Amino acid sequence: MTVSPDIATAGRRQTAALSVFLVVQTLGTVFFVGDVIGDLRADPLSIHFIFEAVVTAALVLGILFGTFALRRTIELLRAQDQALAVARGALSDVIDRQFQAWALTPAERDVGFLALKGLDVAEIAELRGAAQGTVRAQLTRIYSKAGVSGRAQFAAFFVEDLLGAGVPEASA
Amino acid sequence: MAAPRTPAAAPPSLWDPVVRITHWGIAVSVLVNAALDEGGSLLHVSLGWLVMALLLLRLVWGVLGPGEARFSAFPPNPVAALRHLGQLASGKGVRHYPSHNPAGAMMAYAFWACLALVTVTGLVMTGGATPMQVADEKAAVASGDWSALIKESDGESSEDEDNSLRHTAEEVHEVVANLLLILAALHVAGVLVEARTMRRNLVAPMLLGQRRK
Repeated sequence: MTVSPDIATAGRRQTAALSVFLVVQTLGTVFFVGDVIGDLRADPLSIHFIFEAVVTAALVLGILFGTFALRRTIELLRAQDQALAVARGALSDVIDRQFQAWALTPAERDVGFLALKGLDVAEIAELRGAAQGTVRAQLTRIYSKAGVSGRAQFAAFFVEDLLGAGVPEASA
Repeated sequence: MAAPRTPAAAPPSLWDPVVRITHWGIAVSVLVNAALDEGGSLLHVSLGWLVMALLLLRLVWGVLGPGEARFSAFPPNPVAALRHLGQLASGKGVRHYPSHNPAGAMMAYAFWACLALVTVTGLVMTGGATPMQVADEKAAVASGDWSALIKESDGESSEDEDNSLRHTAEEVHEVVANLLLILAALHVAGVLVEARTMRRNLVAPMLLGQRRK
């Protein structure tokens, strides 16, 4: 299971940008520290050097915090990825069980899924290589087995579960 | 759709950006410094400092980074490494690891030790000069001011010591640089063997991951 492409891409861009920033930051710090060490050998106790030492400490701390923040971001994205996959799996389990409880035929199940995904009759017919009349008849049978008045109520049947106390356990 | 992720058993389908940037940054820098530019040149010294920065970042990432990038995910274990190589050779009992496999882990630690040694000896050879200082020095020499080439010294004995230290550093630098190239060749061979035996693409996770669609 993967997150929908745009969320995944956005996450990847964000972590990539943070990483590039971190690399540039490290590069700058290493060069700066090299320069400071050169100064240190020239004149250890000048105000100039003390100031540079403070800046160096700040830069190093910045890298450590940046590293930590990047790790948190990466872990957060992975957690979301997994949570979404679990939620998806749970929802499709619920739908499966409900379809079974309604005793839908395999063909009706496919059509029911596609209808829940928001495809219209023409699109479903094209996807399944069937006539529009067949799909319309299958949908009517699904609605009557489910005891709903039409497509809106059919979709609402599952959304209602989600809006209530989360996804319930098997109701079959 | 990608295969379901099983966090415990398989290495990541895409390494995190820090791992990838440091990996390729160091790989390219080492190859350029070994083959294309001249030791002591501005480019050589600059790339050396770049490698030092990337290595430091990778080591920090090994402590603070996400699970599979951390040292704890691939502790150095020569016995396990040999066992893994044996399994690869016989083609039996090879398993997946959540991070680097034990042989790959040993390779990573060997790389890091060599890189650290090569940068430290490089610093000794240049007297710790930053690329900015090297550039200044070269500009001064180019403009006819040869005094930049005369190193200030406190006395004869310390200069002798300095010279012998630099000489040793130079020897070590060259030996370890060659060792790095040998390691790199072994590394590539290891990736090929592993990819073939496990029927798994190891290069994509280090580049941009599996291309979907």
